Amino acid sequence: MTPSGVITVRIPAEAGHVPLLRTAVAGVAARQEFTLEEVDDLRMGVEEAAVILLRRGAGEPIELHLEITGDGLDIRLETAVDGEEPAIDTASFSWTILSALVDEVASTREGSHARITLAKRRMQSTRP
Amino acid sequence: MTTKYSRDDTKLLFAKLRETEDPELREELARLHLPLVEYLAKRFKDRGEPLDDLIQVGSVGLLKAIDRFDLDRGVEFSTYATPTIVGELKRYFRDKGWAVRVPRRLQELSLRLNKVVSQLTQDLGRSPTVSEIAQAAEVSEEEVLEALESGQAYSTTSLDAPAGNDDEDTPQRLERMGEDDIALDNLEYFASLAPLIEQLPEREREILYLRFFKGMTQSKIAEHVGISQMHVSRLLSRILEFLRSGMEGDAEY
Repeated sequence: MTPSGVITVRIPAEAGHVPLLRTAVAGVAARQEFTLEEVDDLRMGVEEAAVILLRRGAGEPIELHLEITGDGLDIRLETAVDGEEPAIDTASFSWTILSALVDEVASTREGSHARITLAKRRMQSTRP
Repeated sequence: MTTKYSRDDTKLLFAKLRETEDPELREELARLHLPLVEYLAKRFKDRGEPLDDLIQVGSVGLLKAIDRFDLDRGVEFSTYATPTIVGELKRYFRDKGWAVRVPRRLQELSLRLNKVVSQLTQDLGRSPTVSEIAQAAEVSEEEVLEALESGQAYSTTSLDAPAGNDDEDTPQRLERMGEDDIALDNLEYFASLAPLIEQLPEREREILYLRFFKGMTQSKIAEHVGISQMHVSRLLSRILEFLRSGMEGDAEY
């Protein structure tokens, strides 16, 4: 019944397109029995992550991957970056924000790609 | 409050306030004129926003009026304050508002759903899901999503929201001023943000702290601060937006 699979949205590296990512994650999460508050958390989380990648990125498109899991949503945001460091410093305010908004945050590098992963479980609603 | 007495009283308080800058006098004046705020806020109550939120918003206008009122002008304070309070309320609706053209049908549904959401939140003790809202409102999930999306239109316009930083503490907040200002201490840990966070009104700082450092949910914060969850959500988005643009060196809350 519940659809599965990965949904991908790719935007040019421009701040004006970030709302589209926000809308996409909200649309998917709302259909997955997340509560409005959780949807709101995801919206803010994706925006924060996207803004970080915009700032760090090399101007290549930003990709958002949304994977529906059994108990929630796995989110990946990726873009090409210059330099060596992961996109987010764990001592930063952004990290604190993201940690409060979702259950798991990770910031990794894969070659020239920086990736931010966020995982959010359905906690508030008891329904599957 | 009897009008005549209160007018003289008001003048006296203003004269003293200008002389001493005593915050207690400011609070006293705010308390004295809260009925005016309530009266004006009620005029906006059928627009689907909780009256408590409107009173809160109107109180901000009242405090602005108190700070700007000039005794020498010879007008009654209530006359002077009314447009400021109404202006604040109108700005609230405009900011959250239908800045993006939203079809009337959706506006109405969105306003109706606001009420359903608060009712459900109360009944469930947590924020509801889209399917729960659809069921309660007897509309389809797609309609709920569409309405919520249109209701979210505000967040794309929040960038051009309030200029200037004269949002002061509200009377409710003033009553709780005795509480320790833990929030600022914790937030100051992020040195680069400290100057920005200092620019936030006390209430916004508290919300920021409770959500991101204490991990409190929006509903809990709403309860704690005395505004609706949707208002908390809007404030959080606006605060983050402010901090982001602030780090790029150009922000006004």
